[in-house]
Amino acid sequence: MKNKFYDLRMGNRTGGLLLALIFFLSSVAMAQAQNLRGKVSGSDGEPLIGAAVTIVGTTRGASTDGSGNYAIDVKNNETLRFSSVGFISKDVVYSGQKTLNISLAADNKTLNEIIVVGYGSQVKKEITGAVQTISYKELKDLPVTQIGQKLQGQLAGVQINQTTGQPGKGMNIRIRGQLSVSAGSDPLYVVDGFPITGSIGAMNPDEIEDISVLKDASSTSLYGSRAANGVVLITTKKGKGAGMNVSFSAFTGVQNVPMKGRLDMMDAEEFAQFKKESFEDAKQPVPAEFQNPAQYKGKNNDWYDALLNKDAPISSYTLSITSNKERARTSLVAGVLQQKGVVRNTDYQRYSLRLNSTYDISDKVTIGFNVAPQMVYDNTPRTDGDRGTGILFNALHTWPIMPIYEADGKTLTKFNRFPASTGNIFAYANWVRSADELINETTTTNLLSNAFVEFEPIKGLKFKSSMNGEILRTKFFFFNPSNATSAINTPIPTTAVSIRENFENLSWLNENTVTYNKTINEDHKVELLGGYTNQYFRQESTRIQADTYADDRLPTIQGAINIARGGTNSGVQEWSLTSYLARLNYNYKGKYLFNAAIRSDGSSRFGANNRWGTFPSVGAGWVVSDEAFMSELPVVSFMKLRGSWGIIGNNNLGNYTSYALINNTVNGVFGNTVATGAAVSSLANPNLGWETTQQLDLGLDLNLFNNRINFAYDYYTKNTTNLLYAVQIAQESGFGNFNDNIGEIKFWGHEFSLNTTNTTGKVKWTTNANISFNRNVVVALAPGIDRVYGSFHITKVGQPFGQFYGVIADGVYKNAADLANSPKVPGRSTVGSIKLKDFNGNGVIDYGGNADDRTIMGNPFPDFVYGITNNVTYQNWDFNIIGSGSYGNQLLVRHIYSTANLDGVFNMVDGAKYRFRSEANPGMGMYGTTVGGGNVTGIERDWMNSRFVADASYFTIRNITLGYTFAKPTKVYKSVRVYASCQQAYVFTNYWGGPNPETSAQGNGQGDGGNLSPGVDLSNYPVPRTFTVGANFNF
Amino acid sequence: MLAVGLTGCTDSFLEITPETSLSSVTFFKTEADFTQAVNACYVPLRTIYNDRSYLLSEMHSDNTYYYRNTAFGATEQQEDLADFSIPVSNNLTTNTHVLNQYRQDYLIIARANQILALIDKADFDAATKANLKGQAQFMRAFAYFEIYRYFNKGPLQLTPVTTREAAAAKLGTADDISKIIIGDLTGAIAGLKPKATQEPGRATSGAAKTLLANLYLIQKNWAGAEKLCREVIAEGSYSLMPDYNNAFTTSTGNKNNAESVFEVQYQEGANGFQGSFMYNFLPRPMTSAELFTLSGTSNPQPQTGEGNNAPMPELINSYEAGDLRKDASIGYITCSTTLWQGKTYPIIKKFMRTHSLNGNHGMNWPIFRYSEVLLFLAEALNEQGKTVEAATYMNMVRKRAGLPNTTATSQVEFRTALMNERRWELAFENKRWHDLVRTDTYKERITAKGNAIKADPFAHYYERGYTLRSNSFSVIEKYYPLPADEAALNPNIK
Repeated sequence: MKNKFYDLRMGNRTGGLLLALIFFLSSVAMAQAQNLRGKVSGSDGEPLIGAAVTIVGTTRGASTDGSGNYAIDVKNNETLRFSSVGFISKDVVYSGQKTLNISLAADNKTLNEIIVVGYGSQVKKEITGAVQTISYKELKDLPVTQIGQKLQGQLAGVQINQTTGQPGKGMNIRIRGQLSVSAGSDPLYVVDGFPITGSIGAMNPDEIEDISVLKDASSTSLYGSRAANGVVLITTKKGKGAGMNVSFSAFTGVQNVPMKGRLDMMDAEEFAQFKKESFEDAKQPVPAEFQNPAQYKGKNNDWYDALLNKDAPISSYTLSITSNKERARTSLVAGVLQQKGVVRNTDYQRYSLRLNSTYDISDKVTIGFNVAPQMVYDNTPRTDGDRGTGILFNALHTWPIMPIYEADGKTLTKFNRFPASTGNIFAYANWVRSADELINETTTTNLLSNAFVEFEPIKGLKFKSSMNGEILRTKFFFFNPSNATSAINTPIPTTAVSIRENFENLSWLNENTVTYNKTINEDHKVELLGGYTNQYFRQESTRIQADTYADDRLPTIQGAINIARGGTNSGVQEWSLTSYLARLNYNYKGKYLFNAAIRSDGSSRFGANNRWGTFPSVGAGWVVSDEAFMSELPVVSFMKLRGSWGIIGNNNLGNYTSYALINNTVNGVFGNTVATGAAVSSLANPNLGWETTQQLDLGLDLNLFNNRINFAYDYYTKNTTNLLYAVQIAQESGFGNFNDNIGEIKFWGHEFSLNTTNTTGKVKWTTNANISFNRNVVVALAPGIDRVYGSFHITKVGQPFGQFYGVIADGVYKNAADLANSPKVPGRSTVGSIKLKDFNGNGVIDYGGNADDRTIMGNPFPDFVYGITNNVTYQNWDFNIIGSGSYGNQLLVRHIYSTANLDGVFNMVDGAKYRFRSEANPGMGMYGTTVGGGNVTGIERDWMNSRFVADASYFTIRNITLGYTFAKPTKVYKSVRVYASCQQAYVFTNYWGGPNPETSAQGNGQGDGGNLSPGVDLSNYPVPRTFTVGANFNF
Repeated sequence: MLAVGLTGCTDSFLEITPETSLSSVTFFKTEADFTQAVNACYVPLRTIYNDRSYLLSEMHSDNTYYYRNTAFGATEQQEDLADFSIPVSNNLTTNTHVLNQYRQDYLIIARANQILALIDKADFDAATKANLKGQAQFMRAFAYFEIYRYFNKGPLQLTPVTTREAAAAKLGTADDISKIIIGDLTGAIAGLKPKATQEPGRATSGAAKTLLANLYLIQKNWAGAEKLCREVIAEGSYSLMPDYNNAFTTSTGNKNNAESVFEVQYQEGANGFQGSFMYNFLPRPMTSAELFTLSGTSNPQPQTGEGNNAPMPELINSYEAGDLRKDASIGYITCSTTLWQGKTYPIIKKFMRTHSLNGNHGMNWPIFRYSEVLLFLAEALNEQGKTVEAATYMNMVRKRAGLPNTTATSQVEFRTALMNERRWELAFENKRWHDLVRTDTYKERITAKGNAIKADPFAHYYERGYTLRSNSFSVIEKYYPLPADEAALNPNIK
């Protein structure tokens, strides 16, 4: 049954065909060439594809085709400029020749490259901060659907983990180890100057021209109270080059979950054997179901595997048109993505369009409009989450003797329960049915738009005013029909439930800036910026929950018997921000660099007594290689020392946190009369403000051997004070916590990146590598509080943030003497039960309380993260391989509280076969006895202990691509590149808790203590291995 | 808004108050505000009585035990209370039920403090105000009375907390708390309406008097208790329901009846006011068919886990022959799927009433019934040597139970008879532990309970071959230790 009102899926191919039609029609309208023809090549003779040929002082231009050939109309004495990314451009005055072949010298890491920075752009050489950029060129060969996936492993100091394989979701991006007790830690995403409020995960990566990641305070401080988590500037494609360029790219592939890495669970026979032994060990009669385990041979029910799709298809089509004519420049990118997930009934579709236009309406006035509508449809079963809510976790621990199918082998069972005598206290729904029949869909429509006008009354002085708008509508529909459920112990038919939730977001931003550029006496280059901006956000939401349906086919609101009052509500969220900003850039001969910036933010989120915050920064640089004495060292082609310092803020503290709110739904009943009740639900803090981070950055850029080796190093320290922190207070106050700015965390780290050109000539081989070391220590929390607990974690003064906290497992009690002579849990420890370390030496094992034996038992944060990318080209072949990894971090394998629960109420990890059974058969010391029930086994299961902690270091081959370019133009195309590629090709890891060592359960119910509880594995949606083939056409 | 932003009227642009919640700055002005605030004071009672009181007061006495289910774990928090083995170190405990009881009581106190700090300054009808203020005083007194009985000490919070620093208050002694209770109840008695005119379900002057009498009995202020009980009786609003069975509500009716002095108000249905305590009192596992015989719902669900509040065989056997309350209070159910070989379990029949939806019922929970007022008075009189008059009040209760007049004549005999009467009349109403404490008999009675269970675990719902945990009945103390989690946040709790 599919609800047709919500079924937005077009036929699988419709979108692609539509786009194909558009590009054929478009290719008819190509400009014809005349007069001057020629070829542009590199100094090694290789043709340069897509090099720009422009006529200086006009808007006329052309670009080279797949063989490096160009054609252009040109008059005598006009100056032709030949340019190509990565090469030094060359100007030639035209003197009537018919052909002109040009060779451009390589500019290996173009120091004169223009880098997009906050509120402007800057020559790379003159930047004093820690800014890393990545261009479309470097990203385009990766057939992945999310920007975060494209960036994995490419940026020093940026850790990107894919915490879940749900399509379009799960990319957790942290710049310089950023974290906070309560405030958000995601970077600020700025698209074409507009700090967006929605997610970046759904943006079509093909719309992107380049990405700048701002890491240090001097580059971020212009974003003031939103800068502390780092800033990601995304610039979308604009019309450039010359004339019209049309390209079409498509890829299609299949996704699978490899066997490697899946949790090793018992099969039906092994499980029956385990149950048989448990009853025998407890000296109880063995129930008939388990007396003959061999009867289950070959009748295993692998519930996890049953939820997975084999060869789940993915395909993507993008059409790009850029046009640069006279005074108008436009760019259009249209994309269709259709992806089935590796878990059954996952469906993700994205339809996106972006139209960017810029018009020079006079020599002094430029206006521009960018419009980007998008729609995303997503149906994902409730895969992620704790026992009872996440169907993948449920599937893992379901008894493998429970049948997935009825005797006919086709019909899915409805509900599985064994007699209580077997110990089956949790009865299960059929999870495959849950995945197939529950509807859990989200449709997001999004319109991002910008308009600006730029006025340049005199050269160097520019006024710019922009208006930006973001409209985001999210429509969520959930329906649990009566014949399926994703809950445990809920027989079918169950109560059918529907949830409809709509969000409507509006955000606008008005920015007004003035910049002035002036070079004084040739050597003094000055740039000034001033600005005034206002941003506003409003979200309205409506949620309606209804239940008890007469007919599953009509899950309307009126079709329900009950409207669930508790799940039906409406809400409004709003914030506003007013800012003043200013910046000075100054350099002397491009050699001594200086900048200073300041932003002042007034925010509705801040308390009434603390409404404005000011965020200054300074930076300085010295291009040592420009000094005369460096000519003695020709091996050094470029060397720059840079340093910066600044204060930035984090305002992710919720919109109304400073207010004392009244909860007016604390209702009572008197007799039969319902009476509205109201109580103060939070404490006011009119002084509440932003988190303050002071950041220092010291960097070195060093290029050697004619820029063939480029090295960059950064050292940073960040001191975050005024942590937004809901300080726990004594609950005799009637409140659990008080929102305050209190406490301090210190961060520091080292980042290295190295780009090398290993070979040139026929075989071109380049390597980019980076490694980052991020550290933190909690300096202070609130007065009188030296620790705050997460779900299974402690954040303690003097220690790194968010450490795993529990008791240390020390094998099992081997025999009566061992038990008698060792510390134990009074009334619970027995021979064969888990032995724990008596941390405080009082002879008794305590979990919590005043004689707590818990200690730090692991660290979710890595010693270092690293990435390496290799590109090799040979003639028309290109090869790319990207890997990235993390070392020294651990995960808490939370799901073993079920999957290694010795009571045998769930299916067990395979290792539990080697548990303690008797003194003669003590097992491998990892799992204890099953005898004694929850009173004994509960210690091992319910007390968080070091058995839950697993090494999660990994190195993942993210991408391998092999491509071939047909460079010879034909009547249909200029060039075509075809490629085959594999994503998530292989994960090297010792992690045993599941297939994804990058996972984290944040946002998934239990294990979700928010920021304080990182690195918990609840068996999330697996990240698939994907094989794709694709083609890029240039017309 | 757009225009404001563009013209830069910064102050108003940045002033955004929540549209969907009220702020405390504008609240606490009108009669409606204070009425709502008073209503919210009652709300934690639903949680306390549904989830907690029976564990701390009844199962933590010689009246009930738990229905051991060896297939199910993670039950030590409840078991520790019944087994008198809660973890204690440095006079603090990590038992979660103790913690939650404490927190819910202080939640009532904080809500009442908010009202009492502001209501005198508000301008509305004096009589309405007195009735509202009286309810806030009653609720604060009731919560402090719980703290007093469970812990015999506790932090003294009397004003609303507005800063982080003020959250942790000074620790008060039993005397300090007693003064608060007496002060609040004196005010409440003056301000509250009597049952005849009060909206049913709200605190009345009679309830306030009964609560104060209860305190006086604990403090052996017999004359004080006598005077208050006589006033309640003289009010004429109260009478015993002719049938003991009808002293208790059904899921939808018989609420706040003539015998009711004060009860926790529940309502079945989807509005969130329901109770589910009956389900906590079931032996488990239980099939849906077995459950249906008790709940009568259209959607009975099988029950797993471990049940609580199993009547002790010793209690069942203690009833006098012919006591109608025995069959009204205790029933039996056979559970085919439990591991306990006995299969047929006693259950608390007086709190089992049929209802509509699984896990969702509307029976009210009695806090004070008129029969207890009569027994209070009997006790107060007997302790003052007026045993003959005391017997007339106790016999009213016995008569309704189908029993003849008491045969106790001496003060000492009467004392014993009265405690037995209380045990039968008020069985499972969370009175027993407090009676054992205030009569200082807890040590002998609990030791006897432990010995009985250890001697015959099977008779106390243990599967054959299973015995008690080794630390059972090792911590028999008069008062609960304060919760460790709160001590960690309040440096005054040592």
